[in-house]
Amino acid sequence: MPAGVTSIESVEKKAAAPGAGESRVSLRRGAYLPDRILALLATCSALTIILLLVALVSVLVYAALPSFHTFGPSFLVHSQWRPNELERIQRDADGKVIKDADGEPVTQTLPPAFGALPVIYGTAVTSALSLFIAVPFSIGAALFLIRIAPRRFVNAVSFLIEFLAAVPSIAYGLWGLFVLAPFLQAYVEPRLNAVFHRISGLHWLASSSTTGRDIFCASLVLAIMVIPIITAVSRDVLRTVPSTQIEGTTALGATWWQTSWEMLRYCRSGLFGAIMLGLARAAGETMAVAMVIGNVNEIHASPFAAAQTMSSLLANEFAEASSDLHRAALLEVALALLAMSLVFNVVARWLVVGGGGARAAGGH
Amino acid sequence: MKGLIRNIAAIVALGGSVALAEVRLQGAGSTFVAPMMQRWVSEYQKLRPDVQADYQSIGSGGGVKAFLEKTVDFGASDAPLNKKEFAQAGGVSAVVQVPVIAGAVVPGYNLPGFNGELKLDGPVLANIFQGRIAKWNDPKIAALNAGLSLPDLAITPAHRTDGSGTTFVFTSYLATQSVDFKERIGASKQVEWPGGSGGKGNEGVTQVVESTPGAIGYIELAYALENKIPFATMKNADGKFVKASPKSTSAAGEQAAAQMDANNAAPLWNQHGANVYPIAGFTYVFVRSDLSYMHDKAKAQAVAAFLTWVIHDGQQFASQLDYAPLSAAVQTRAGQAIGRLNWSGAPIATASR
Repeated sequence: MPAGVTSIESVEKKAAAPGAGESRVSLRRGAYLPDRILALLATCSALTIILLLVALVSVLVYAALPSFHTFGPSFLVHSQWRPNELERIQRDADGKVIKDADGEPVTQTLPPAFGALPVIYGTAVTSALSLFIAVPFSIGAALFLIRIAPRRFVNAVSFLIEFLAAVPSIAYGLWGLFVLAPFLQAYVEPRLNAVFHRISGLHWLASSSTTGRDIFCASLVLAIMVIPIITAVSRDVLRTVPSTQIEGTTALGATWWQTSWEMLRYCRSGLFGAIMLGLARAAGETMAVAMVIGNVNEIHASPFAAAQTMSSLLANEFAEASSDLHRAALLEVALALLAMSLVFNVVARWLVVGGGGARAAGGH
Repeated sequence: MKGLIRNIAAIVALGGSVALAEVRLQGAGSTFVAPMMQRWVSEYQKLRPDVQADYQSIGSGGGVKAFLEKTVDFGASDAPLNKKEFAQAGGVSAVVQVPVIAGAVVPGYNLPGFNGELKLDGPVLANIFQGRIAKWNDPKIAALNAGLSLPDLAITPAHRTDGSGTTFVFTSYLATQSVDFKERIGASKQVEWPGGSGGKGNEGVTQVVESTPGAIGYIELAYALENKIPFATMKNADGKFVKASPKSTSAAGEQAAAQMDANNAAPLWNQHGANVYPIAGFTYVFVRSDLSYMHDKAKAQAVAAFLTWVIHDGQQFASQLDYAPLSAAVQTRAGQAIGRLNWSGAPIATASR
């Protein structure tokens, strides 16, 4: 490409950037006083918000320190979650009880043990499964809104889809608990479980009991909750495809589906970003999941097994965590959740708005 | 416009009239005792309209924590305070701990199509909750229920996810029945249950049992009767099968006064006697013995009066709600403990009016 064309584009970009060409208010002496005061107030507001985030993270880290000291990094890979002490009677090699000088059995006290692996597993599997269910619906709905729906219906249908996001999550939880879980338990899970038993390669997916309150139900509820987010962002991302691209592919003889596929490929980083945003919501969702996940701190392969996610563990146990170590362990789980959400959101933002999006716009 | 102003004035007046109570008492804790506590609160308000007590059913663990942090005036828990908790409160003399009612923990089950009386004993129940007995038609269960046909259904044990005094009573009983249970799971307000399904509060476990065919969960007797959940008859320490009721729970409480420790705590589970129900426990209420931290003498007097009324006149409502009233010996001891309540050393009048 000739050098001149690139430089014109970059000049246009600079001119379009916010703040360019406007005078930036100055905080230095000599500037108009009311302007300076208002500028100072605006700066303080921004600083306060940043300070809140820093305070949140540092309080979490400080309160979780006892757990760091006791368990170390192996906290993330152990799977026992026992808040109480256990008294084990010591036995010798033959299994006979060892008695001390007074004739009392010698007991060994096992301290409480905490490990976050089951909840990390639960969060990972429910989020992944919910995306697996939600993404086809969301991308399909976005394609419908951009490519098929008559213009006068687009706003109404968009509103209906986004309305799903406005429903409080506790309502989803109650619906899941009283409607979806019994339905799954009575009709869906026994049949699917039987199918898994029959197919020899899928035995590991079958579960010994199906209560309806398990990973599968939680994933379905989460899928319904993330569909509006992924649809809204995908729709906006697909809208940025320039009409020259669409006209070009059609001119080359592409069918409707081939053109749509090219559009999806064009925006793929933005679509990944939308999916990451959905993942961030699914991973952090608390009340809806806590009501339908079954609340069992164990790792099982089957989607019909009860599990626990990081947020549902905190919702269930934090209010009454009486020992300091228990509370510290819970806060370490909260920190892990915070770190995960931060990573998802940063990556999503980069993909949708930042470098990934810009590359998609300029690179093809 | 005039009508609107009139309506707003009426609402404000109504709101104002609710706040007539001079003294507000705040309690929190055990869901085990929640139905009884709510009844006590409403009956006591009829007696003394100037005292409004409020009880939050958040679980025994939460009640202990709120009491230690002084965010409530009295805490309720089915598990008595342990050494560490007494130390946190400032020592055993800084706390007045009294039993206020006795209740039964029953294994409620959901077996569609089963209409008989299910019988269970301690070791079998321990194995069920450890996941060792996985189906209802297991020979060990069938051995106790000769002549009844049990379905080929998977057992889902329902447990508490929160810090629970009901769990404390249930696991303490099972720990006396099975050494393996004591060593693998232990007796505490919050334990690591293998498998099953979790619920928050007695209400949560009730909901799990109601909605899951094949579930068995440990709940307080009042919740089982209120929600019409069938529960098993348990074999007691004398080998007799006893169904939970206020009478069989009172029978468990008869030995209690003799077994009480210095802090008025006594285990009610696994007691001897022909008609004794084996899984029973007291609910304890704790208050600080020196109530001057409240900075409100009327409130301190109301706490003392309320507690005195609860352990004496309040017991008449117990059997209506399927709890067991305290025996006379226990009432005497509790009354002595309440007599220790003081305001910076000066005793507080404990008359209930």
